[in-house]
Formats: sequence, C-alpha cells, structure tokens
Amino acid sequence: MDFCRKEVKSDCEQLLSRFQRTGSVRFEIFSRLWREMKFSHIFYGTAGHQKRAFSHLILDTARSFFLPPFSFQIRVGGLYLLYSLYQCQTAEPKEQIRLALKDWEDVKKFEKNAVDAQHHDTVYILQQLMLLKAFYFTAMPSQLVFKKKKKMEKSVLCEEFIERASRPQELITIDLLEELSNINELYEKLKTSVASSEQAVSSINLVRTDMVPQLRSTVVDFYKWQQKKEVTVEDEDSGEGTSSQQECSERAERLADIKSRAYGQAAEASKSRRHRQVEVDFTSNEAGPSHSSSYTRIYKRSLKARTMENVHISGDKWKDVTSSSYIPRLTTLDFIPEEKPKKCKKFKW
Amino acid sequence: MLQTLIQRKKRQDHRANQKISKNRHDLYADELERLIVGRKPESTADIIPEGEIVLTINVYYPITSERISTSRPHMSLLMTGSHSLAELRDAICCVSDLQVCGEFSNTPDLAPDFISKDLFKSSFFFFEGVFYNDMRFPECQDISKTTIEWAKARNYPAYTQAKMEDTRFVDLTIKVGFPYLYCHQGDCEHLVIITDIRLTHKSDCLDKKLYPLLIRKDRLLTQKCTVCHLFIGRWFTTNDQYAPSDPCLFCDKCFRALHYDTAGNKLGEFLAYPYVDQGAFN
Repeated sequence: MDFCRKEVKSDCEQLLSRFQRTGSVRFEIFSRLWREMKFSHIFYGTAGHQKRAFSHLILDTARSFFLPPFSFQIRVGGLYLLYSLYQCQTAEPKEQIRLALKDWEDVKKFEKNAVDAQHHDTVYILQQLMLLKAFYFTAMPSQLVFKKKKKMEKSVLCEEFIERASRPQELITIDLLEELSNINELYEKLKTSVASSEQAVSSINLVRTDMVPQLRSTVVDFYKWQQKKEVTVEDEDSGEGTSSQQECSERAERLADIKSRAYGQAAEASKSRRHRQVEVDFTSNEAGPSHSSSYTRIYKRSLKARTMENVHISGDKWKDVTSSSYIPRLTTLDFIPEEKPKKCKKFKW
Repeated sequence: MLQTLIQRKKRQDHRANQKISKNRHDLYADELERLIVGRKPESTADIIPEGEIVLTINVYYPITSERISTSRPHMSLLMTGSHSLAELRDAICCVSDLQVCGEFSNTPDLAPDFISKDLFKSSFFFFEGVFYNDMRFPECQDISKTTIEWAKARNYPAYTQAKMEDTRFVDLTIKVGFPYLYCHQGDCEHLVIITDIRLTHKSDCLDKKLYPLLIRKDRLLTQKCTVCHLFIGRWFTTNDQYAPSDPCLFCDKCFRALHYDTAGNKLGEFLAYPYVDQGAFN
C-alpha cells in the first residue's frame, strides 16, 4: 500500500490548502469543499483486504495533520478530515484512528483551545469521534517494523501549514523582563558593595549592563519580522518600504520604557484566533534579523563519477574496460549477434 | 481529479493487461480477516477485560532457511498483556519442530514416533538482555547457559535468565519495533518483532480463548512428489538406485510402492529420511 502514500498526502494537502485559504474553521465550509472535490471517491476501486489497508493508510496521513506542529486552522481541518474519512470509509467493520500516548496531551490542549475560543462545531466533531470510539490508543503512532533501507525518506511537512513559531514571545514576557532587571540591579549593588576601590569595580564588570533591554528588543524585532514576512508573502506586488533605523535613540527610549513600566508587549492572540490578522500597535525599528545561514551538506560526487569525468580513455579501450568480460566468451567465433537485454515491463508509478 | 484515483486506475489497467492471476497471499489474507474480525465469546467469563493491552507480534522465518526476509513476516500474532510467553511459544509453528531425525529405510513405519518437537523441547526468548527459558517439562534444558557464560568470559554486559511460563507480557520491558530472538531446537532461530501495542477496542476479538490470534500467515509453496506430482513429498531418499535424481522426493504411497514389496520388505539399496515440507502449516 505504500505506493500511493505520496498521492494520498498530496490530495489531503490540496483539500487542506483550500480550507486554509477560506480563512475559516467552520465545518460547513469544510464539508462544502469536500463535496466540491468529491473526496469520498478516494475509497472507490479498492477490493477485499485492500480496503482495510487503504483506510489505515489514509487515516494515518490525515492524523498527521491533526497534530502539532501545524497551525490551529490546519489542525481543525485535519480533525474534520479525520471525521469525514472515518465515516466514509468502505472497510467493514471500520478501521480505527491510531492515537499515540504522547499525542493525547496535545489533543486535550487542542480541545481546550477550541472550547475557550467557542468553536463549538470543532468540539462537537471531536466528541462525536470519541463517542463513536474511533480511536485506538496505542504506544506508537504507526506500526513499527525493522527496516533495512539505507535511506529513510523524510516526511516533508507542508511549509504553509506549519504554525508560526511563537516560543520567543511566550518565553520572554513582561514579568520575566521585570524580574531579570530587578535581579540585575541587585547584582550590581552587591558588586559595588563588595568592591573596595574604584579600580576593582571596573575589573569585575563581567555582565552586560544592558542585557535586559537588548533581550526585549530582540524578541520584539523577531515578532515584527514575522509579521512583515507574513504580510509580504500575502501581497507580493506591493513592496513596502522599511522605516528608518535610528538605533541609538530607540535604545535609550527602550531603557526609559522599562524603567517606567509603560511599554506594550507583542500581543500574541490566542492560538485559536491566530489565523486571522493580528494587530500590533507600537513602533520600533524594523531591522529584520540577519539571515541564518542554513547548513547544507556538500555532496561530493562518487569516486567513480569523478574518475569518469577526469580520466579520458579513448574509444575501444574504454569499451573493454567498462563492459564486464565473459570468461566463456574469450574464445568465440567472430560473428556474435547483438543480444538485447531482456526487458520486463515494470509499472511506472 | 484526485491523484490517488488516477494512480489506482492506471495500476488496475496495467494489471488487467498483464493478466496476473490473483496473488495467493491475498486470497488467504482475505479469508483470515473474515474469520477474525469482531468475534465475541460465548461466555462472559472469557471476555477480555477493559484496559487490557493487545500486542502485535511478527515472527520471521528461521535464519537457516533460504526464505529469510525482513520485509515479510512468516506469521503475525495478536497477544494480550496477560498471556505468558509460553503461550506465544506454543503458537509459533515452525517446520523444524516436526522434523524427524534419523534414517528410516529399514523401518518406515516407525518414523512418526520421533518428532523433534517432542524430543527437544528446550527453547528461549531473548528480550532486552534477558533469556526467558522454557522450563515446563523435565526434558527442557537451559540452552541459554552457554551464551551467558560466553558473554561473561568476554566482558559483555551480563545477561540474566527468567522462566518463560512465569513471565507475562505486561511484565516485560521492550522496545517496539526492535528485533528480538526466539530460539528452539538448539539452532533454529527466529527473529521476533513486536510491532504494535494498544488498548483493546470493542471491535477486537474479545474471546480470551482464541488468543494467541493469528492475523497473517505466509503460505509457502509445497514440494510435490516426483512421481505423481499430486501429493506432498514425505520421504527423501539418497543413494537410491530406483530414483531418477539424487536426492529425490516421494510421497508416502509412491515411496512404498517403489521401494518395498507387498510384504513390506526392503528392495534394493537406498537411504530414506522422513521429510517435512516447508508448507506443512498451510
């Protein structure tokens, strides 16, 4: 059944990208798209025990969309997809959806998010699946077998579906920054009290004095860059000009801000609403972060290939070298008819 | 248009063109599935309790056989957590268990009395550095002792022992998908992989008595008699003046007809061994 894994994945991605473009999480919209694409036809044409194997494959693929790291909207789409596939499958009795123990917490968090955001249809679908006892609670997400293949194909996650990374913002909160600056002040005081003379103070200045404002500025810059990236992805035509960079004054401003405790945090909307545009209202410079150099492995061509390229052997000798010698053929008649290698028809996927 | 459907149609057209007859493995797989899915027990005492775990175990061909392949298991079994390892051992069918040792040309009627399964009952499982020996019968010996001593002599991490019949699956610590070993008959080794662990579900077969449950079995081609090509070969002869080839396979009827007269006396010179076909468990 593995031969159709890619096709199944691309079909699911097609449906989900359409769903993503509608910008909604309503089940009615999903079911409209489902009917337009006639997705239930995906089960037609299988026979016998293939029905069960195919149901297993497609439920596996759909389940991957229901779990992190995808964005909330895609996860809702994945849930609707799972439900629809579960109901429309032709295997009798129905093939269940496998849910690993480690993913159960994510599912619970997801449900809580949906409840908080009052997406009642999402919660209903999830609880309906539970009622139908559609889940197998397993130790591992898929059946594991010892495979001797050298190259394991990495499952490629669709880039557009992935949740926007928000860990920096969640980690560096206002409270954290306040505490950090407090501790920093205390530390400075301790140092000065311990130091006996003026000279000693400068020599034990090991910590950066402006660590806290710089930390905050980095996080804010990152958030701004993310926003800018999303905006530029959507409207490619309009080239938006970057604002001017006045770094020194900005930093001074930020120091004052922290001291006076009157600054706004990069407001992250709850995950359930993030698929809509989020408004941020503060001004700081838009210096985007430097492009992280991605580490790519340099693949050296094999020795055989390089030899073939570099070493040029003329004509007949090359032919003799490359073709394998047949010992019984060392003494034969002059005339040898051309032997065509037998070609067996292989199915082209 | 869905890509899956396009590909499926192409594949089916290709198969129709090639006129491949239905795969015999698929035929039996369908049949097995019909028998297994959703069976309920007659009495409630035998029902599997809620919260019980179900393990899917793949047993592969013995290392000594030519058909060893890691992609296709010889058989797949379902077991519950409260079953013991000994029950799993009983459920594994290997042709080497039925082998009869010895030359029987002089006494062809005595052959079935010496099945290897009855003679050599020792076996063990090896999970995570522990050897689980089968000690149920007085004839069983501890065949893992040699390996343990060998390992100790060479500074390998120490291996321990336990009894197969006392260990249940819930007591084991295992890695899912990791290859383990089942050894019987002294040198017949099988690869054992636990592919899946999950909680029971209402659509599972809930009859405790039916476990270990066979969900998949590879059917092997049987070798037929050289003479009649009808019956499965049961006798294996060498140095036979009557046989067309050396060695040669005969079914019981043809063997007796060719090599013995009506009184049961041996005719000519030959050596005969009872043969167990690899497809004996089909």
